[in-house]
Amino acid sequence: MEFFNLNKNSILVSWNGELNSSLTSLISSYKNEILSLCKDDIKDCVQSIKSILIIIDLKRTSINEIIEKIKMIDYEKISNHDRIIKVWEIPVCYDLEFATDINLLSDIKNLSVRDIIDAHLSKTYDVLSMGFLPGFMYLGKTDKKLHCERKEKPSLNIRKGSIGLALDQTCIYPRQSPGGWHIIGNSPIEFFNLASKYPCFSKPGDKIKFVEISKSQYKSSINRLDKPKLIEL
Amino acid sequence: MIKIISKGLYTTIQDEGRFGYRNIGVPSSGYMDKESAQIANLILNNPINNPLIEATLIGPTIKFEESTVICITGSDFNPMLNENKISLYTAVEVRKGDILKINNSSIGSRCYISIKGDIKLDEVLGSKSYYPQINDSSIIEKGVEFKFEPNKNKLNYKSTHQEFELNKNLKVFKGPEFNCLNKGSINKLINKEFSIGVNNRMAYNLKEKIQDGVSSIISSAVIPGTVQLTPSGQMIILHRDCQTTGGYPRILQLDEKSLDNLAQLRIGHKIRFEIVTL
Repeated sequence: MEFFNLNKNSILVSWNGELNSSLTSLISSYKNEILSLCKDDIKDCVQSIKSILIIIDLKRTSINEIIEKIKMIDYEKISNHDRIIKVWEIPVCYDLEFATDINLLSDIKNLSVRDIIDAHLSKTYDVLSMGFLPGFMYLGKTDKKLHCERKEKPSLNIRKGSIGLALDQTCIYPRQSPGGWHIIGNSPIEFFNLASKYPCFSKPGDKIKFVEISKSQYKSSINRLDKPKLIEL
Repeated sequence: MIKIISKGLYTTIQDEGRFGYRNIGVPSSGYMDKESAQIANLILNNPINNPLIEATLIGPTIKFEESTVICITGSDFNPMLNENKISLYTAVEVRKGDILKINNSSIGSRCYISIKGDIKLDEVLGSKSYYPQINDSSIIEKGVEFKFEPNKNKLNYKSTHQEFELNKNLKVFKGPEFNCLNKGSINKLINKEFSIGVNNRMAYNLKEKIQDGVSSIISSAVIPGTVQLTPSGQMIILHRDCQTTGGYPRILQLDEKSLDNLAQLRIGHKIRFEIVTL
């Protein structure tokens, strides 16, 4: 664990080591513990793939005080808490109407469209980080077969709810947006709902499991604001 | 109540910003030049972080439907009240029917129009600051009306003759990936001037290159004031509406006051970096 003071009120805490589920889980445990120890002193706490950024309220605390508190955290103890990990079941329609880049990817990777879908469905993903757009989820890691570069030419208009692939990750576009990921499907779920006090049902540290739905199932569930199913706690 | 007669180039409502949502990818937003904005609130004895109007390069024209007091700070846009020039950094009384024409910026980029009282506007995630992804409208449009809840607070000063100045020296701390720079690039950073390119509330591009081919990092958090080095060798200085994570090396980090100063600069202005320690 390394500390880096970005400015007078922001500390970056980073971890080295291979990106895998146990690193993500360790970082999530730290984030939750830091938030419960110093909640009122922290203005923002951003979990990303291998780090946490903590922005503090200088009227209430100092960077050194926060670092001391983090150093005191006993990882053995917090990792032994029966930490609740939420696993969200996200319906995806892989129909070609939505999967605008799946044929391209099938050519690049020399895989059938079915192989790509099966590989995408085969894993439960960690929500590694959220950024780029409000509610945009970086999920990892994907099956090695699916690892790919971003598209050479980004698309200007990626549909809301699109599911993308790039590098060793998959993602969800919560809004219509430009973007460079290969789009392989779409989910009818509302991923960023401003009418709610918590606009995103999930957060970094949760897990996502995709399930395949047909086009007719998709059409019947679009525009509903239901939260997705929580399959495991 | 006020009514927007013409909207200007990029006019928004801003307050101190939105906190607690960066973890789900929501930027902080807020006043680009925080100090200038807060002075306008102080002069009117509004709460220091009151929402107010931020104008960019070309200002709006506003009609007042009731009498109130206003204060304009930041860059001098040559504002006129019913065709008469009015002073900045001063509380100015306006009457029902008055027309405030903000005009165009002469030196800097942004001015702030504070109106005594509290603007009636719904908060989104704890802030009234406009941000394109979460507000229906990302700018104040022509014809829009805003209501104000007046306050009875006494004015703080009749007038402060504060001079607005551009400051092109930006104080920076070393960023987490400063070490990816070679000696030549560090020399350029310290000794050369850089010119401002395309910019907006999210980021300021700098035109000159310093070092090619620096590889990306694993996506990690960024904040307003983070200076990123892109693979083409150009730098981007992130500002208030910037995204929350990024994959480019973070070579420098502006201090808070320099972020305010940068908000007043525009395309073609030359800047210098001064590396300081925390």
